[in-house]
Amino acid sequence: MARAREVPGFDCEESFSASAERVVAVRAAEVFEHSDGVLDMDDIEALHDMRVATRRLRAALEVFAPAFPAKRHRKALKRVKALADALGERRDRDVAIEFLAGFADEAQQADRAAIEALIERLREEQRRANEELAPYVAAERLKKLRRRLCKLVKAAKR
Amino acid sequence: MKARQVEGLDPAAPLYPNAERIVRTRLDELRTLAPAALDPAASTAQHDMRIAAKRLRYLLEIVGPCFGPEAKTVHDAAKQLQGVLGEIHDCDEMLPRVWGIESLRELLRTRRELLFRQFSDHWQAVSPTLHTFSLLRGESGGELNDR
Repeated sequence: MARAREVPGFDCEESFSASAERVVAVRAAEVFEHSDGVLDMDDIEALHDMRVATRRLRAALEVFAPAFPAKRHRKALKRVKALADALGERRDRDVAIEFLAGFADEAQQADRAAIEALIERLREEQRRANEELAPYVAAERLKKLRRRLCKLVKAAKR
Repeated sequence: MKARQVEGLDPAAPLYPNAERIVRTRLDELRTLAPAALDPAASTAQHDMRIAAKRLRYLLEIVGPCFGPEAKTVHDAAKQLQGVLGEIHDCDEMLPRVWGIESLRELLRTRRELLFRQFSDHWQAVSPTLHTFSLLRGESGGELNDR
């Protein structure tokens, strides 16, 4: 999992609003930096990194909510949450499949077929979750989200 | 679980006093949830506590530098709590799906018991640190409560 990037110029004596601008700008950039390859189901770490980056952005938006105009903030947070949920649906299946695949090898013979069938069901859910995620990480959608977050940062209360 | 509202935040004021209010609220939220979550069967309470630990962890990832090195200790404690409670939640989510696969059900039940013991031990170890809120100090070294 990628570490959170340091926020340049972060200063505890600076105003809450100015900190909000700095932190949200960096956390938003991290989300977009991790958007490559998230739909690749053979490399589940790419999705995990974007999910964690999205979680960090969501946390920053929640912590600094009072620094932003309410309506603009609400809309941005709603879209970030929707992205996080779509990433989470895929991630849950990735993790469950990995766990079961590890267990299947050592399982008792009597249970092995049932485990394989469960893995197959989860793979189907994983494919579906990936299809549902695709529009959220499409270039145009991410570009809009980036623009929305840029505007939000610029609109921080002074 | 909805986060508790933090009262009295002032966007024009420096980050530090605002951050202090938020950290205090999130710490309190976590500590309030612990007694219920320490019942081994209380999966909903454990899930809520995981969310509270996650909020505290990511909050301190942002504002930790305002509180000196003790913030790292609290951050790491929250991260560890979130991790173990997350694994308990994974077992809870998986168990209904593996109905009829006895060896797997047994493994998940045993794993959950082990994880719960880890959670309980970890909580006993870290709660004094969390409880002693005044251990968190601002950059100037003054106690939070004095600022």
